[in-house]
Amino acid sequence: MLDQILLLGSIAVPLAVSLSFFAGWVRDDEWVVKLACLGFGFPCVAGILLFIKFDGTVDGYCFEILYEKMGLQELGITFHLGLNGVSSPLFAMAGIVGLAAGLAAVFSGAKRLKLYLALLCFMQSGLMGLFASVDLFFYYLFHEFALIPTFIMIGLWGGRNRRGIALEITIYLTLGALVSLGGLVALNVMVDAPKFDFPTLSQALSDIALHDSTQAKIFGLLLLGFGILVALFPFHTWAPRGYEAAPTPVSMLHAGVLKKFGLYGLIQIGAPLLPEGALFWSPWLLWLALGNVLFVGMVTIAQGNLKSMVGYGSVMHMGYCFLGIGVCSSLGAGSAVMLMAAHGLSVSLMFLLSASIQRRSGTYEMGQMGGMAGKTPILACFFVAASLATIGLPGFGNFWGEFGVFLSLGEQPSHRIFLGLAALGIILSAVFGLRAVARIFFGPQSEELTAHENKNPIRDLGLTEALPAGLILAALLLLGLWPRGISDRINKEITDRYAKVDHATLSLFLPPCCPVPQGGEESNQTTPLQVSPPVVLEPEER
Amino acid sequence: MQTVALSVLLLPLLSAAATLFFLRKQGNVAALLSVATAGGILLLSLYLIFAGDGQPFSWDATWIRLSGWELRFGFLLDGASRLLLFVVSFVGFLIHVFSLGYMEDDEAKARYFGGLSIFMFSMLGITLADNLIMIFVFWELVGFSSYLLIAHYYSTDEAAQASKKAFIVNRVGDFGFLIGIVLTYWSFGTVNLLELADLSDFEPSLVSTALCLALACGFIGKSAQFPLHVWLPDAMAGPTPVSALIHAATMVAAGIYLLVRIDFLFTQQALSALALLGAGMGLYAGFCALVQRDIKKILAYSTLSQLGYMAAAFGLGMPGIALFHLMTHAFFKALMFLGSGSVIHACHHEQDVFNYGGLRGKMPLTAYTFLVGVLAISGVNFLSGYFSKDAILLTAFNLNLPVFIVLYAGAVLTAFYMFRLYFITFEGKPRSKKAEKAHESSLLMTVPLLILAALSIVGGYLSLFPVSIVGYLLPDVSEVAGMDNHLWMIIFGSFAWVTGLIGARALYGSVDQEDPLASKVPAFFTLCRSKLFFDEIYDFYVLRIQGPTARFLEVMELLFVSGLMVRGSAGIAGLFALLARVCYVGKIHAYAFWFVLGTLGFLAYAAYFRG
Repeated sequence: MLDQILLLGSIAVPLAVSLSFFAGWVRDDEWVVKLACLGFGFPCVAGILLFIKFDGTVDGYCFEILYEKMGLQELGITFHLGLNGVSSPLFAMAGIVGLAAGLAAVFSGAKRLKLYLALLCFMQSGLMGLFASVDLFFYYLFHEFALIPTFIMIGLWGGRNRRGIALEITIYLTLGALVSLGGLVALNVMVDAPKFDFPTLSQALSDIALHDSTQAKIFGLLLLGFGILVALFPFHTWAPRGYEAAPTPVSMLHAGVLKKFGLYGLIQIGAPLLPEGALFWSPWLLWLALGNVLFVGMVTIAQGNLKSMVGYGSVMHMGYCFLGIGVCSSLGAGSAVMLMAAHGLSVSLMFLLSASIQRRSGTYEMGQMGGMAGKTPILACFFVAASLATIGLPGFGNFWGEFGVFLSLGEQPSHRIFLGLAALGIILSAVFGLRAVARIFFGPQSEELTAHENKNPIRDLGLTEALPAGLILAALLLLGLWPRGISDRINKEITDRYAKVDHATLSLFLPPCCPVPQGGEESNQTTPLQVSPPVVLEPEER
Repeated sequence: MQTVALSVLLLPLLSAAATLFFLRKQGNVAALLSVATAGGILLLSLYLIFAGDGQPFSWDATWIRLSGWELRFGFLLDGASRLLLFVVSFVGFLIHVFSLGYMEDDEAKARYFGGLSIFMFSMLGITLADNLIMIFVFWELVGFSSYLLIAHYYSTDEAAQASKKAFIVNRVGDFGFLIGIVLTYWSFGTVNLLELADLSDFEPSLVSTALCLALACGFIGKSAQFPLHVWLPDAMAGPTPVSALIHAATMVAAGIYLLVRIDFLFTQQALSALALLGAGMGLYAGFCALVQRDIKKILAYSTLSQLGYMAAAFGLGMPGIALFHLMTHAFFKALMFLGSGSVIHACHHEQDVFNYGGLRGKMPLTAYTFLVGVLAISGVNFLSGYFSKDAILLTAFNLNLPVFIVLYAGAVLTAFYMFRLYFITFEGKPRSKKAEKAHESSLLMTVPLLILAALSIVGGYLSLFPVSIVGYLLPDVSEVAGMDNHLWMIIFGSFAWVTGLIGARALYGSVDQEDPLASKVPAFFTLCRSKLFFDEIYDFYVLRIQGPTARFLEVMELLFVSGLMVRGSAGIAGLFALLARVCYVGKIHAYAFWFVLGTLGFLAYAAYFRG
């Protein structure tokens, strides 16, 4: 019962805080801050507690809440919350990033702070709800909850050229959301399931199999819609510009958490329910994801602006998640989930620290910085750690996700070309990550910085800034040093959910009438498979 | 036993964490903590080495499990790892002690010693790891700690660039290593070293040249072999004890250790390629070392060259000999790096050898111990380097003559540039104010020198060491001892170092501040100085290829992706709007005109399709 309260509270508390701000019930500034801290703190604590309590050996959802009679049951929509192996790590990650972003916002000294915090709390409630929803309608609804404050906040508190960018990002993301909604509705209509939630849909699909071409069409819609939302190459240009213009807490929440919506959808719904569709699009997805890694990776190297470099870098690393999905295996998808959780933490840490750097140097242009490590050793320490986490240094969570993706790419000989090309990304990210460290913190102090310093003395990271950063960094280290903590929770769910996908992939790459090889340690695949002739495009064909 | 192994691994990590959280401002306490940690590591390692009577020991626990892939965190303590464990913990401890003296006046002592502890953690991880992925994890961490320590003097541009370069070049090697690991996993179904050894024994068809060459990329990056050698000389921007610890005695040797750990995966072609690569590196780096002026760069190139010898030994099918040379090299090269640190410390961070001179009188302990190092690396008979290097040369002489010729030329060169370094630095008269004022370093620095000098003298007599440490070497060493042509080898070997000594004495016995080689054979000197233009090639790549490509792609993105596609689709909608607006001008005759035009169009359409 306590678990259910925690789960519901992590959505309801920030929502209540936000609504009370909107309604104008809270006038005292001190109370605004206290309530906002509650609104961000509760989901974080709940997320972590539920993650710890989550039992990875249980089938399906834990901590379920089901309320059927809300007037929409005729449409098959029920209020259904719960966590499973895929959503529980992301739910905890959303809580942690939310608290860090919330603290950053509270201490940001933004104008009209109450409205700012109200919108951010609203966004946080949507983010928590999105990962906690079992019902697809609410999954989508909570996403919109989180999305709309983004536009408003970029428009009101954004940086240079904020109006134009707010408009562009609105059009882009609304389009993406619309297309993916189309895909979800199409799925529901084609399956004709009595209810609109994950378990019912997958139950219905295991009873009746959709035709391969239908699967391909629906998956295509989902891929396009979700791809736009996750900044899949070449639909990625909104992301770096949007993050550059957005206020820091919004960049953190959007790049860290909200952007995982699409990947989450593809992993949780798309590929497991439509295995043949996923296989059909797999070559496309893999090539486009390579575009993320290599093309966007190179563009990242060219960035001179710190915040847009972080933005491009985050888009680049989304490519690895897509590769994990595109390879159509449980190993790839599981690694993608691990990478999503770690990436959400690391990218929000990068945005947080970029803002701290900007407050000290007065600029985001890396060319005008240099030698800051002497002035701000703690900030330098955090930034070096964050950069190295981002570029996948072992010891931080990102490494395991990236490594798992590489491992999954090596499974099928025809995917190894992607392995070779995608692994180049580890060099590209080292180049831009370390270059940023060297340009900002190492070397002699630049003249611009000295000039700025004379007017505004530079102080090292205070507690209010170190606290959120330390929180995220601790989580990243924990993931990196003890990966079993997360992989044990993902493992069963992803293996069960992807059994059909694994089967389809394996049979695609086997010549007909061939016994299944041992396939490494794939002990769960030892039963002889009924090999069907390949029905989809060979992945070698573009 | 696993408790001890775990604590030897975690001790330095805890020490680094304590330094980071509590001792940032108390440099002296941090230094003592770190040295005490190194001492603890040494004791625990000795326990690990001697416990279990030299029997292999392994232990593991699940680290990550994801849909059929299970990675275990484990230790494998066999002959090779016991040897490296001894070298790392022993030389590491001496270098920690030396650092107490060398870094006495440094402002950021806590950061330095914290970095050393992280390095010890990562290096011990490589030593103990029982599978390839775990080796890779610590492999990258070693790269990271090396990055931290090279960047110690971060406010200089040199250190900022060098640290970045070291990490990125290492990553290039790791790229191949990573792919090799993934392919190994899918062809063998495991990455555990013991299981791999069994499988490759059982099913030799699984072993392939492409696979082991991919894995060898890791070695090439970490051991700074051709063509990824460019980072090591630059890495000398770090403090000198770091160069001794990381860039001479342990980290770069990890590459050789990796090869030894997976020697069963290598095919004959791959081995021959490695032998040639190593021999070539031995000669090439010798030529580079010949014309350097910076004392640390001379030693750095000499390290590259000696690593080439080890690679050649491995390539000739003698991993035991490679490890033997690794061990003796760790002694005498750490000795010389620390000796150079003592000199640099005494001369107030002057590193140009032509500004030294006559230091033997000022700092005799440093000078004589350094001389021992020079004699050992040159292969003077019955010192440690003589045994290990001549074993390599003899093997090459008997098995692969071309490799022998290259290696032998490298040996003559080694003696020559090493005695050059010694004569310029310690003999003659002081050639700068700093050298005149130099005085012997404190006991904290000279005692490690004396210990290392003693080991450089006797380190080649394997019977002096307990079998638990050198057990791995004995089979290969006795095989070499049973080979022919020993007498020839003694003559060749003695000839090599005597030639080097006489040549160096003649040319560098009395120099002033110019390199005599530059005036005597200017063309040769310039060629060696250029180092065959590798630095220029890399700079050219970064500045003229990578940079412009990145900017070009950025422009392409702006033009096509966000320009044409995004703005373009918005533009098309806008264009329609514009066209539509033309019709609504608000004048009656315009509407009449459109009305007539529309009617005519309709009629034409109807007439055409009817008729």
